[in-house]
Amino acid sequence: MEQLLANPYLPSIVMTVVIILVFPLVAGYIVLAERKVLADLQVRLGPMRVGPYGVLQPLADALKLMIKEDIIPAKSDRWIFWLSPVVSTFTALSAFAVLPLSDRFFVADVNIGILFILAMSSIGALGIILGGWSANSKYSLMGSLRAAAQMVSYEVPLGFATVTAIMCAGTLSMQGVIHSQLERGVWGAFDNYGLMLVPTVLFIIAGTAETNRAPFDLPEAESELVAGFHTEYSGFRWALFFLAEYAAIVVISSLGVTLFFGGWLRPFPNVAWLEMPLNTAFPAALFAVMGLGCLKGVPRQVINGFRLLMLALGLGFLAVGGLFLLPAANEAVIGLFWFLFKLAVMVYLFIWYRGTFPRFRYDQLMDVGWKWLIPLSMGGLIVNGIVQLLVRG
Amino acid sequence: MANLIKTFLLTDLLKGLWTTFKNQKPSKVVTEQYPLTRPPVAERYRGAPRLNNHPETSETLCISCNLCALACPEQLIVVTSERNKVTKRKDLTNFTYDLSRCMFCGLCEDACPVDALELTQDFELATYTREGQIWDRQMLEEGPLPQQYTH
Amino acid sequence: MAATTLEPASVDGDTFLDSNELVLNMGPQHPSTHGVLRVILKLDGETVLGTDCVIGYLHRGVEKIAEDRTYQQFAPYVDRMDYVAAVSNGLGYCMAVEKLLDVEIPERAQCVRVILTELNRVASHLLWLGTHALDIGAITPVFLCFREREEVLKIFEKYCGARLTTHAFRIGGLQYETYDTFEKDCVAFCDLMEEKVKEYHDLLTGNRIWVKRTTGVGILTAEDCKAYGVTGPLLRAAGVAWDLRKAQPYCGYEKYDFEIPTREGADTFDRYIVRMREMEQSCRIIRQAVDALPSGPIKGKVAKVIKPPPGEAYVSIEAPKGELGYYVVSDGSLKPYRVRVRPPSFVNLAALDKMCRGSLVADVVAIIGTIDIVLGEVDR
Repeated sequence: MEQLLANPYLPSIVMTVVIILVFPLVAGYIVLAERKVLADLQVRLGPMRVGPYGVLQPLADALKLMIKEDIIPAKSDRWIFWLSPVVSTFTALSAFAVLPLSDRFFVADVNIGILFILAMSSIGALGIILGGWSANSKYSLMGSLRAAAQMVSYEVPLGFATVTAIMCAGTLSMQGVIHSQLERGVWGAFDNYGLMLVPTVLFIIAGTAETNRAPFDLPEAESELVAGFHTEYSGFRWALFFLAEYAAIVVISSLGVTLFFGGWLRPFPNVAWLEMPLNTAFPAALFAVMGLGCLKGVPRQVINGFRLLMLALGLGFLAVGGLFLLPAANEAVIGLFWFLFKLAVMVYLFIWYRGTFPRFRYDQLMDVGWKWLIPLSMGGLIVNGIVQLLVRG
Repeated sequence: MANLIKTFLLTDLLKGLWTTFKNQKPSKVVTEQYPLTRPPVAERYRGAPRLNNHPETSETLCISCNLCALACPEQLIVVTSERNKVTKRKDLTNFTYDLSRCMFCGLCEDACPVDALELTQDFELATYTREGQIWDRQMLEEGPLPQQYTH
Repeated sequence: MAATTLEPASVDGDTFLDSNELVLNMGPQHPSTHGVLRVILKLDGETVLGTDCVIGYLHRGVEKIAEDRTYQQFAPYVDRMDYVAAVSNGLGYCMAVEKLLDVEIPERAQCVRVILTELNRVASHLLWLGTHALDIGAITPVFLCFREREEVLKIFEKYCGARLTTHAFRIGGLQYETYDTFEKDCVAFCDLMEEKVKEYHDLLTGNRIWVKRTTGVGILTAEDCKAYGVTGPLLRAAGVAWDLRKAQPYCGYEKYDFEIPTREGADTFDRYIVRMREMEQSCRIIRQAVDALPSGPIKGKVAKVIKPPPGEAYVSIEAPKGELGYYVVSDGSLKPYRVRVRPPSFVNLAALDKMCRGSLVADVVAIIGTIDIVLGEVDR
């Protein structure tokens, strides 16, 4: 037993298991958040039936997907049809290995972390391409062709933007990037007298395209290709694609947060007097507001079980908020809090785009990618490189 | 030049984002939680048909003139009556109304000379069987039973 | 052409590589064919080489039904052709029968008819805008459009008791007198529209993606429009100021002061602008009509039993989607001998192939949206 506890890989293994077990639930709640935020943007209410304010909706969805009939089209390439959602999910979840959730919560801090994430997201595209091709449906095929072209084109500006940030940080390790931002006392996005904002914006745009999110959701363009590459998928296989998509969003957002928004650092990491208001008061107040909001919603629920759930949620949020007031606990989770908070803002941004913009057309997508994003990202790299050289030597 | 700056600053896109962002105000929500909150239905709403009785004598107002049946484009009203030997008038025996074919055009209501047949504000007309859609005189006079909807 | 040939695919050197054509069946179950339209696309990659429309999935034989109904009884059925502009349909049919009967319609009835049809034009354009934006991938405008459309439907509900298939007009005038707050509701709606149109402009008009997706897509020039018999906003976006409300005024449209919005580009973006301006012009007409609403009877001298003299009548009106014509033949009996409808959607849909050739798959849904078809009217 002692030997086991002393094993240096134990924390990593525990983290891995926790991530794999928890992420499907997290993805479900991201879906719920997406539905709710979209509903807000569209003057609607969103899911309201399963649980109070629809908080149990992801569980109902998961249950439904699991008991749905699993259809494999008769003329499909069975094995590849079976394999492709697995490839997508596996690669997307693998990338979680190097995410620096905080200074102490991470699976591994490898010195090529960023490279690993980019590699994994590239292989993830393979799942989409195979899935679309193997289904033997024309809509799927066109979706996967679009996916292939889009991934190839948008990985280049994404790569250039990433390289610019790496150049500033001087390391490929995810934790290293954050530490370098701490040393320089400024988030990556505002480094080099604000010139780094250019790759930041380009990263967000290319990242949206890389994760097939609106307005770049051509591979699954609903109004054109029905459902694109996953037209023929149903039930749990489809859920795996869904899981992969949301995992990819989390991974790309995490990469953006790490490279440009200081990862688990609080805003203004070098201003000492902000320590108390930002690291203690802000999270405590945030959770207190959430908790009180839940408690306020208790009397509005008609069903007793829902009331209990709302009460539990409210008390839970208050408890978490109280946690931030204890110095020892605060120190342990504050990094995680900031990372997840920034992640949530990024995810919100993705949803916000989706609720606002029309979809690009295939040729326009290529236009934007090759004629605008790639030259701009190259320019950003060169200019930032020169500034870096002149200022920092 | 100004246009070029606008292109790079993505002002047009930010304007759209601001529009949707403003929509998030909870007071802007327009949808309703249907069975819990019911929309008010206009007074003239053409919904479930009703056969009116005289408010005091509770005798039917219908004089079995058959004008509604003649006016109906779908011919879904059947009025049966028998001649009363004493008053020499037609007494209503049965009145069937096939809701499954009704398009709520209101022509029967317009045709009725005594305001006996009326389209009311009831709009929850789903039934479990096709036969349930055919309303007889009793159903038409009493209206659909109030139902408790849960979710 | 065989796939294995090594010869250049075209002699003029346009394409050297040979590729196979792909036949893609879009619809009748497809999210953006606006109902049950089936379009067979011949594709080269994503480029459309040709399209073929298969219609009839919603055929209910409305014209045949007319032959077995009395004149009044057929009126509810016309609402079910273009169900998003049911009031316009009812107006066209009633006017055709009234022409047969040669009956005078009271001023007040005319005025209420104008108000309701213009409200319906706004509602129809709002539905078009929402679904068109949805086809192009903007998922929010549809909810905003429905929010405004709801106000129109509420006015309809309060006026005649039905929201969509209204059956608002009767032959000879109106069945229902306006309700108490009718004028106030109409003006309130116009105010609301003018305020909310800004939101659509912020979301779409300036948006570079929207502009890119719509400019130069589905061009149909004035000559083509005339050749295909295309009317409505499609024709007006091609620069032809042809609107039956001005060209051959009916229902007293000559009394109102409004403009016919036109554009020169003849593409999807111009049609979008034309329709947006038409909504504003409709609001203008509604305000004038509400101000000028005369008092008086609402129904002309029409017998309870309508029995027009033998003869025929053709009446066409400007429906939201284009020229809507009703041709009614009477043999002197209680039932029409023949009713023939000239639906704008059906005629406009014929130009789909012309507009789609050479564009991409994504443009096809944009073009179907911009034609603004309602399958109930196409298939009848």
